[in-house]
Amino acid sequence: MSSTEQTAEPTTTYEQAREELADVVRRLEAGGLTLEESLALWERGEELATLCQHWLDRARERLAAAAPADDED
Amino acid sequence: MSAPSSPEAPWPVRTVARKVAEWIGRLGEVWVEGQVAQLSRRGNAATVFLTLRDPVADLSVPVTCHRDVADRPGLELTEGARVLVRARPDYYVARGSFSLRATEIRAVGLGELLARIERIRQLLAAEGLFDVVRKRPLPFAPAVVGVITGRDSAAERDVLVTARRRWPAVRFAMHNCAVQGPQAAANVIEGLRKLDADPSVEVIVVARGGGSVEDLLPFSDEGLVRAIAACRTPVVTAVGHETDTTLVDHVADVRAATPTDAAHRIVPEIGEQRRLVEGLRARARALLTTRVEQQERWLESVRTRPVLANPERLLDGRADDVAQLRTRARRTVVHRVEGAERDLEHARARVAALSPAATLDRGYAVVQRADGALVRDPAEVADGERLRVRVSGGRLGVRVDREDGEP
Repeated sequence: MSSTEQTAEPTTTYEQAREELADVVRRLEAGGLTLEESLALWERGEELATLCQHWLDRARERLAAAAPADDED
Repeated sequence: MSAPSSPEAPWPVRTVARKVAEWIGRLGEVWVEGQVAQLSRRGNAATVFLTLRDPVADLSVPVTCHRDVADRPGLELTEGARVLVRARPDYYVARGSFSLRATEIRAVGLGELLARIERIRQLLAAEGLFDVVRKRPLPFAPAVVGVITGRDSAAERDVLVTARRRWPAVRFAMHNCAVQGPQAAANVIEGLRKLDADPSVEVIVVARGGGSVEDLLPFSDEGLVRAIAACRTPVVTAVGHETDTTLVDHVADVRAATPTDAAHRIVPEIGEQRRLVEGLRARARALLTTRVEQQERWLESVRTRPVLANPERLLDGRADDVAQLRTRARRTVVHRVEGAERDLEHARARVAALSPAATLDRGYAVVQRADGALVRDPAEVADGERLRVRVSGGRLGVRVDREDGEP
C-alpha cells in the first residue's frame, strides 16, 4: 500500500478519495479484521486523508489566486 | 389653330402658352392645405407672394393673392403657419410662370392642428406603425449614440452630460439642426437618414426641450414619423415636456420623458454595473469558500475518528488481548504444573508407601524366585533353589538349605 501522490498530480479525484476514506473508517470501526488487515487499512486511511487535504489545499490556493485584490480588468 | 404642330409648321410661343394656360385652367378651384414657407410683400403692392410647402413631400408651390386676402383680420399670416387656401391655378402667359391664385386663406387653428395630428395618428396607427411588436430593444451599452438635437441646446447638454457620467466610454455622432419651424421635420429626417446609415451608430436619440403645440408640430409630422418607422437603428425620442405627446413618441422604440431620462435609458450606469458585477463575484466566491470549509470540516471530523486518530488503540486492544491471553495461559500452565506436582507427590507417596524400601529399612527382606515371583510360603520353593533376596542395602543371591523338619 505505498502512497502514490508524491510525483505527478494525484489522479484520484477528491470525491473518490473522500468516498474510499469514509469506507475505510466504516470497516475499521466495524472491526473483525486481522491485525495485518487493520494495519493496512489504517495506512490506506492516512494516505486518503492526505490526498483529501491536498485537494482542499489546492482549492484554497486557487481561490486565493483569484482574490478580489487583483487589479480591475 | 388646331392643326398639330410639326417641325414644318411649328406653333408660335403664344399658341403654346395659351394652350398651356387652357390646360392648367381645367384644374378649376381647389382647397389646398400646406405650410407658409416664404411670405413677401413688396411695399403696398396689391399682390402678395408666398410659397406654400407640403411638409410631408417637401414640395412647394408659389401662391399669389390680393393683399386683402393675406391681411384678412384674424389671419396673422406668418412663415411656418399651417394654412388652408382656396385657389385657382394661374398661368402667367407673359412669363410662362405657374402659380396658384388664392381667393381665401384660413389659418389652421390649434384645435384644427390637434385634430389634424389626431387624424394622422389614426392613419399611421391603422398602418401598424405604432404596434408594440415593431419596438426594438435598445442595445445594453452602445459604443456610439446618434443624437439629433438643436445646436448647444439644453436638451443636447442633458443627453451628453448625463450619458457620459453614466457610461464614460460612450461616444456620440451629433446631428445638430433646427428643431423648430418649417424645416425642422425635414432636418430631423435628414439627420435620421444619415445616422441610420452609419453602421457604428447603435441607437439614435431625438431630443428637444419643451415648447408650444406649434413648436412641437414638426415632431408630429407624418414624414418624420414614417422616417423613424423606417429606421433600422432603434430610436429614442425625448421631445417636449413629460406631459407633451407628439406622434414621434408613438412610433419611437423608446419614449423618454426628458433628455436626461433618455440618457438613463440608452446607457447603463457604470458604478451600478460595477457594483452588480462585484456583488455576483463576491457571492460566487462565498459559495466556493463555504463549500471548501464544509469539506475541510468533514475531513477534520473523519481524521479525529479514533480508528484514524490513534490507531495504536487497535494495537492496545490487541496487546491487552495478548497480555490477557498470556496471563491466562500462564495461569493455566501454572495450575497444571502445580497439579502435576501434586500428582507426583501423591504418586511418590503411594510409591513410597507401596515401596518396600521402608520395610526393608526396618530390616525386612524381600525374597524373589529366579523369575522374580515373590516368595510368600516356604512351600513354594524347592530345596537348593536359588533365590534373590533384596534387603535395604541391596540384593544377594541365596540357595535354600532346609534343615530337618522345616516345611
